[in-house]
Amino acid sequence: MKKPAFWLAFSLFLFTGALLFYRVLFLGYPLLPAAPGQTWAVSIDLYVETGEEGAKVALGLPVEQTGRMVVEERISAGAQSIDIHREGPNRIGIWSVPGKQDERLVNFKTTVHVRPGRVGGDGGPPPRSDPPPNGGEEQALAERLVAGWKNLPLPLRIKAIAATTTGKWVDPPPGNLEIQAWTAVRERLGRELALRVLFYAGGLSSRSVSGLLLANSVVRTPLRWIEIWDGQKWERLRPDSGEFWDPKVALLPLIYGDRQAVRVVGGELREVRYVISREPISGWRLYFEQIRRSERFLDRWSLFRLPEDFQRTFRILLLVPIGALMISALRNLIGFPTFGIFMPVLMALSFRNTGLDYGLGIFFGILLLGYAVRRALDKLRLLLVPRMSVLLTLVIGCFTILALVGGKIGLREFMAVGLLPFVILTMVIERFFVLVEEAGAAAGTRTALGSALVSVITYFIISWEPLQLTFFLYPELMAAVTALQILVGQYSGYRLMELFRFRKLVGS
Amino acid sequence: MIVLGLAKKLREAGILGLNRRNASYIMGWNPRSAFPLVDDKVLTRAVAEKYGVPTPPIFLVVENHGQIAGIEETLGGRREFVLKPARGSGGSGIILVVDRGKEGFVSQSGEVYSREEFAYQISDILSGIHSLGGQEDRAILQALVHPDPVFAAVTYQGVPDIRIISYRGVPIMAMVRLPTRASDGKANLHRGAIGAGIDISKGETITAVHRAEVISHHPDTGNPVSGIQVPFWDKMLLMAARAMEMTGLGYLGMDLVIDREHGPFLLELNARPGLAIQIANRKGLWGRLDQVDRAPREIFSSPESRVEWAVNTFRS
Repeated sequence: MKKPAFWLAFSLFLFTGALLFYRVLFLGYPLLPAAPGQTWAVSIDLYVETGEEGAKVALGLPVEQTGRMVVEERISAGAQSIDIHREGPNRIGIWSVPGKQDERLVNFKTTVHVRPGRVGGDGGPPPRSDPPPNGGEEQALAERLVAGWKNLPLPLRIKAIAATTTGKWVDPPPGNLEIQAWTAVRERLGRELALRVLFYAGGLSSRSVSGLLLANSVVRTPLRWIEIWDGQKWERLRPDSGEFWDPKVALLPLIYGDRQAVRVVGGELREVRYVISREPISGWRLYFEQIRRSERFLDRWSLFRLPEDFQRTFRILLLVPIGALMISALRNLIGFPTFGIFMPVLMALSFRNTGLDYGLGIFFGILLLGYAVRRALDKLRLLLVPRMSVLLTLVIGCFTILALVGGKIGLREFMAVGLLPFVILTMVIERFFVLVEEAGAAAGTRTALGSALVSVITYFIISWEPLQLTFFLYPELMAAVTALQILVGQYSGYRLMELFRFRKLVGS
Repeated sequence: MIVLGLAKKLREAGILGLNRRNASYIMGWNPRSAFPLVDDKVLTRAVAEKYGVPTPPIFLVVENHGQIAGIEETLGGRREFVLKPARGSGGSGIILVVDRGKEGFVSQSGEVYSREEFAYQISDILSGIHSLGGQEDRAILQALVHPDPVFAAVTYQGVPDIRIISYRGVPIMAMVRLPTRASDGKANLHRGAIGAGIDISKGETITAVHRAEVISHHPDTGNPVSGIQVPFWDKMLLMAARAMEMTGLGYLGMDLVIDREHGPFLLELNARPGLAIQIANRKGLWGRLDQVDRAPREIFSSPESRVEWAVNTFRS
């Protein structure tokens, strides 16, 4: 390995790595930008009756964490400024509603992107230090009830306690008298609190949550559930039925603890309405929204700041170097024949307009026709440049006829034929002819098929949307591609084809 | 695993691959500025003459279409000659003319070109069809070589030619390319000519390869291809050794023909000689390149000392 080339490649990798690291760690970029997920818009309408000096509204807001991203947040009506601050695990938005003794509508809109099942443990459980507010008597009873389950593993202990809310007591069950006593306690405390007392007694961390089930719906009161730490993640329990929410169900917590999701001071809350709707926005829009709002240097210089028409071009363009890298590898590592470097890349680009099957069909059709014409031209003894001009005209003539036919039968793929690289096609015809003449039809066909195959592979690479999004978000990945190109370029070992070419020399 | 094992075996046998040839030898020893000299036969002949390396005489260099009409006048009484592009490669565009008469030009394979057709061939050459980069070219009318009968028994028509690869002025490997019926009388391995390795130390043909097969007899004439003593061997080695001073290229292939009357002629030089010579010799180039790199410094002082060292070192 040649040292300077290696170091250059290494520094390019390092550059890419450093930028990626910075973006992910400090700018909050996603590690896997193309990961699937859902985007939900939650519109919260609050009807507030203000007091003498207006009212203050405190609203629990979604918190960002692994697997959950707040794309957009805004107050749409009712107030000018919002003051958002953290309180423990909660994010509270507080704003003043002006007015005197009248009813006001305040609207807040938030768009969140979630990947259900991937929501992280937000740093683990709080210490088991906040016992539910209740008397020592119930606590002592609870301790006796769960005493038999103390040695169960955490997940099983959680299930055992959860089942009690529907009156099921797993082995070893406590005494009947105690169960009866607990039923009375549950009546008084309510199911949610009763369960939390038991979890506390069982040595488990739990917390109450108010939030929303993300499904197209209009909700007047937030959902309540209990989250219990099972050692790795929060289990989500429905206190009314004792059932657990499936991890794949998307729940959006608004506030943790016993607080209400909405509180109004100096006025009265007449009505709350949560309108939850699925937004069909793509990953592109998701990051566009996020980056447009950011004032960070790298975000201001992001490709997302380009007008959308030009963005489209770059989505594709950024992946072309990967195609070139692949062609380099095929040639120098494998020894695969193609018509030049650019022909497969340009063909792949044009396939995006004509579609793969039509594109390939047109390519081989025109190549064969061109070959036949080129053979005939050979007898006419035309000079080089005029002869190439004739072939060029032939190619464009074919395009015209195809486009007209496409127009008549309404086939868009034929009409898009004009985007095929006609100069390249002309040159391919000439080179194909020369190759067939000099090295035989087999070699010519092999190279034509090889070129077509590489075009197809390149087409799939540049059309793969997750990869487009990744490179668009992290254009520095091109430096890593360059590094790989350099590494391929300094490879001086055998090509795969040579192993077979020379294998007889070593007797195998 | 098979792949890695095979690669290891080839490495141990000293077989040279294209990537290493390009990266270590062509890029390392062949300055770009020297390429025009070997790519253009007119320039090659001019410099070869200076170094006392014989090449076939050139009767006429056609530079533009206007000159085509005057060709026959210049040829005078000569009935046979070769038409070549100055910058051609792989033998394309070459016509061996053995006679000329009323109907036009008769080629060696018996084809008759009318004057019009012949003019078309020349104008094709001028417009750069056969030239390496497609640039405009010159056409050469050169003396026809009458091959020495030494290879007559193993040649089907055409002219056999000898390829010697030299590295840093040391001839390291050689082969003779013998035309066959399949190659249409052309000394081109891709088209089906035979490649027979030549022992550098003795100048005698060793093994031979036809397409991918090792052969011992010529497929058309049925005569054995090995054990033929190549005449003028020492002279040809010296010509190959001089090519370095001549061109400034450290890694090159020299193509020679042996004329019945005049002895060896340099036909053309190649700055990117192919690797098939390894198959013809059943020997790797890389091993020999390494030997040259480890050779004592004194041997590089003159072409004679380099040839002497090669003859003593490379025994097959």
